[in-house]
Amino acid sequence: MTPGTDNHELFENLRLELRRGSLVLAVLAALRKEHYGYTLRKTLSERGMAIDEGTLYPLLRRLESHGLLVSEWREEDKRNKRFYKLSADGKEIFKQLMAEWQSISTSLNGML
Amino acid sequence: MDLVESYLNAVAKALPEEQRADIISELSEDIRSEMEERQKVLGRPLTEEEQEGLLKKRGNPWLLAARYRQDHRSVAFGRQIIGPVLYPFYVKVLSFNLGLTFLIVGIIFLALRLAGQKISVGDMVSTCTLQFFIQFGVVTLIFSVVEKHLTKHPDRWHIKGMGGKFRLDLNIERDFQVRMGQACMRQARMGSHMREVSRFESVSIIVALAVALVWWSSVQSHPFLIFGPAAALFNLAPIWHQIYFPIVVLTDLEIVRAIINLVRPDWTQFRAIARVILQAGGLAVMWFAIKAGSWVMVANPAADAAGKYAQVAHIVNQCLVYVFVSAAIFSGAMIIFRITELVRWRRWHAGPRNVGSAAKEGN
Repeated sequence: MTPGTDNHELFENLRLELRRGSLVLAVLAALRKEHYGYTLRKTLSERGMAIDEGTLYPLLRRLESHGLLVSEWREEDKRNKRFYKLSADGKEIFKQLMAEWQSISTSLNGML
Repeated sequence: MDLVESYLNAVAKALPEEQRADIISELSEDIRSEMEERQKVLGRPLTEEEQEGLLKKRGNPWLLAARYRQDHRSVAFGRQIIGPVLYPFYVKVLSFNLGLTFLIVGIIFLALRLAGQKISVGDMVSTCTLQFFIQFGVVTLIFSVVEKHLTKHPDRWHIKGMGGKFRLDLNIERDFQVRMGQACMRQARMGSHMREVSRFESVSIIVALAVALVWWSSVQSHPFLIFGPAAALFNLAPIWHQIYFPIVVLTDLEIVRAIINLVRPDWTQFRAIARVILQAGGLAVMWFAIKAGSWVMVANPAADAAGKYAQVAHIVNQCLVYVFVSAAIFSGAMIIFRITELVRWRRWHAGPRNVGSAAKEGN
């Protein structure tokens, strides 16, 4: 393996790590409004936070199991879809995370 | 079954049962929404290739399913040998193999015990331990090879080949009908014998033959397993001891063949060739057995009623002639059939390749 590919792999790993934390915040932010999986994915993608379904759906399940999201199966356009939105706890956590994000962002902007 | 169902089936098999239905419903909805949107953009239904392309983008179904699982156990001896993706399959296969093997070994020992044979606890423990190490070694080796392949080439998979039960084989025949007409259907049907080797079939063969080997080895010293209570009166003729080793070798080779096809189900030509060779070997062994002319003999020729038993043995041997000759004829016919099938398939495969997906078969 060449140093170039090594660096590329390292960058990819660090990039994914950086995005991983922000994805949770992006998903919580998007779910202030109710969405089902596909429209949520599209919304995130349109806002520049593309996420593949193999990452999104397990993440939604994890957030729901932590009580941050609530979901329900409902029929829309003659098809059953699972709609997600923030729970009361989710709203509270989201507020705290957003404050944390802004604080990190301010600090980083000062350093970069 | 369409491509989406095939894909979802493959994902479902790797999901925990309690979440399976829920996850699959959601995933199905997501895939169909994406396909519908794509159709709207194109203004026409998606072709099979386009559908396959969209599913391919979602990644290997086993890797996708693994992301949903909370259980991230793996097998490691120093370094990881079987990762969390394959671990549930590994545990299932190993438990199934060991369970079935121990059950059959238990039944064999119980039968011997009931027949008054001397069986010590040590015999049972050593047989079970040996079987455990064989099964554990073979299954772990197979899965470690699959794991290595999966890690190295996570994108090398085919929707048509996932999941084991492929209803999409019908599509191959449909393609032939449309593109090549009725004349090619005969060849397509012939090609059905050259489809991917089912993993279930390979595992079944490995288990069945491992058990058969135990039985075959036990029969040599415990004729009760063939004769039942009559083992006190009759015995196996020396020919069985002479062909013991060739039969063990042929059985071992068939196990190796099944292991290879478990790892590479697409090596259909290899299976066809190996079957011909092994069947020819079997026929040669059968020829030696037929030439012997006597397969059952009186256990104690000096006994009082030995003459009467010798007559019974003679009748049994006479019947066995017909059984062996019929089996040899059947085996010979099968070899000819398989060679013909292989030659025809190779000729067809070497011909013009305008049949799309069907041409992917074989190795």
